[in-house]
Amino acid sequence: MPTVLVVDDEFGIVDVLETILIDEGYRVLTACNGKQGLESLATERPDVVLLDLMMPILGGVEMLAAMMAEPAYRHIPVIMISSLGENVLAKKCIGYVAYLRKPFRATAVLSTIDRVLGGRANTGIL
Amino acid sequence: MATNPTDADWQAPLERVPTGIPGLDIVLHGGFLKAGIYIVRGQPGTGKTILGNQFCFNHVATGHRAVYVTLLAETHDRMMQHMQVMSFFDPTRIPDGLYYVNGFRVLEEDGLKGFINLLRHEIRAHEATLVVLDGLIATEESSQSQRDFKKFIHELQAHIAIEGCTALLLTNGRGNTYHPEHTMVDGLIELHDVLFGTQAEREIEVHKLRGTDELRGRHSFRITNRGIVVYPRIEALLARPSSDDQWSDERCATGVDQLDKMISGGIPRGTTTLVLGASGSGKTSLGLHFLSQSSAEDPGLFFGFYETPLRLRVKAAGIGIALDGVIEQDHLEILWHPPTEDILDALGNRLVEAVRRRRVKRLVIDGLLGFQEIAADRPHRIGRFLTALANELRALNVTTFYTAETRNLIGGAIEGPTIGLSTIAENLVLLRYVEIRSQLRRLISVVKMRDSDFDPSLREFRITAAGFELAQTFHSAEAILSGFPQLAPEGPAADQAALHPPGQ
Repeated sequence: MPTVLVVDDEFGIVDVLETILIDEGYRVLTACNGKQGLESLATERPDVVLLDLMMPILGGVEMLAAMMAEPAYRHIPVIMISSLGENVLAKKCIGYVAYLRKPFRATAVLSTIDRVLGGRANTGIL
Repeated sequence: MATNPTDADWQAPLERVPTGIPGLDIVLHGGFLKAGIYIVRGQPGTGKTILGNQFCFNHVATGHRAVYVTLLAETHDRMMQHMQVMSFFDPTRIPDGLYYVNGFRVLEEDGLKGFINLLRHEIRAHEATLVVLDGLIATEESSQSQRDFKKFIHELQAHIAIEGCTALLLTNGRGNTYHPEHTMVDGLIELHDVLFGTQAEREIEVHKLRGTDELRGRHSFRITNRGIVVYPRIEALLARPSSDDQWSDERCATGVDQLDKMISGGIPRGTTTLVLGASGSGKTSLGLHFLSQSSAEDPGLFFGFYETPLRLRVKAAGIGIALDGVIEQDHLEILWHPPTEDILDALGNRLVEAVRRRRVKRLVIDGLLGFQEIAADRPHRIGRFLTALANELRALNVTTFYTAETRNLIGGAIEGPTIGLSTIAENLVLLRYVEIRSQLRRLISVVKMRDSDFDPSLREFRITAAGFELAQTFHSAEAILSGFPQLAPEGPAADQAALHPPGQ
């Protein structure tokens, strides 16, 4: 049972993602900012991270940078989720493997996770 | 020993943070005070979120940074989807200039104290000089008591002051009553959605604004593709004209030579003339004559409600007035505003802006009824509105023609507009129909002309392919004002022959 870490400050989005992922058989961890996300990584080893860009305390850019700087986390594929277009995101974030633009559909989330886990890619954009 | 304070003893005036929202900074007298805390309240759908976002984008466009914090509000992606159709929305400013965070979970888990810490952290981390909190009501609902909530506001006030950050707190509010937190903040602004008959209109009202001589009362606003556009209430905006009244003994030619002869060479410059007449009597045509005299030194503006620019040009050409040249040389501008669902103050602001933009000196407002129709649900405003407008136009040394329709087509009794004529018109010109021997004839008369000698006699006139043609005199019987004129037996044969040659 793959584990997904959802890091987003919007509780509505976290709740929805948690529900649909559990329904699909995933184990789900949640965090409402990058700091909590990194704390979660210290104790858990998710198979994939769904990471929001803008969050309080520690944003997605900073959490992703911290993961890339840490060999223990570098291999964990990160899917960025944001309201902004990928052109904006690509300038800020280095190391994510896929991107989902909000608002997204459940099918898009599930197929992206499926692709990421299937390929285990951790470099470049899928 | 008491000493007189020196300049150094006084603090510099508080810096203002302009919102960049068209019209709002005029109402706020330049913007919010830097490091001030302001509540914006209004029912759902009144435009609070747009106002908050527009302020943020305008703020970051000037090189500053802002943080937008939501609580129980729409999700950021939905918010951005709604904003992206508006011209102020610039995604390239996100996240470096403008940063969106949701603080609800922190509020839920750590309470008000944790939430204050989050705000403080975000302001510092992003070096924000503006923070918008969308959903203040959620913090109130998280408070154990009213005292807790006041303490939260107080702490927030202290933090933003020390960071030099201005805060805007958006809330639905609770009813129309006032609350203790309103006494603590630097300003309270309310957004309304008001129904006038079947027409809905948005209004903004500043209840409180510390250290500011704001434009009090309600002001209309619209949500457009530019975002919010506020139209300051004309009576408040122009309560005092923008400059001192000007006096000139110069005359402004009407474009009708015979009429100018009746009024000592023309209309006194910088005065307001009401041209009153029945439908089709020639009011607009007289206005077009007046504007045909527009020039680089004397720019003109036609501000009308009923006839499109194309129809006006055709109409003018039909009576020998060549408008195309003066329009092409930018000596004349035609603005058309059908009196449908418009806002009275939007029209007033547009008119004043158009006059100032081109330093207009000749103005025709064609159809006072247009203003009256738009203000039909607030008839008490129209008199004050027109008075304020007329005062400003005089201060700008604009010579203005208003046309207004009389209700009766033919007859002696003149039923003019219901508003007080004397407040807006220093000069009055009447155009009338009379029936003589089963024919309709037109009469013109000057009823008053500011501080000037004028010929008060009635004149018959015709509108031909060469424009207005006035007779020398109209020798009618004393019954003419009753609407039943009889040509005097010794009548003016020369006038009649000139205006009505045989066969016509």
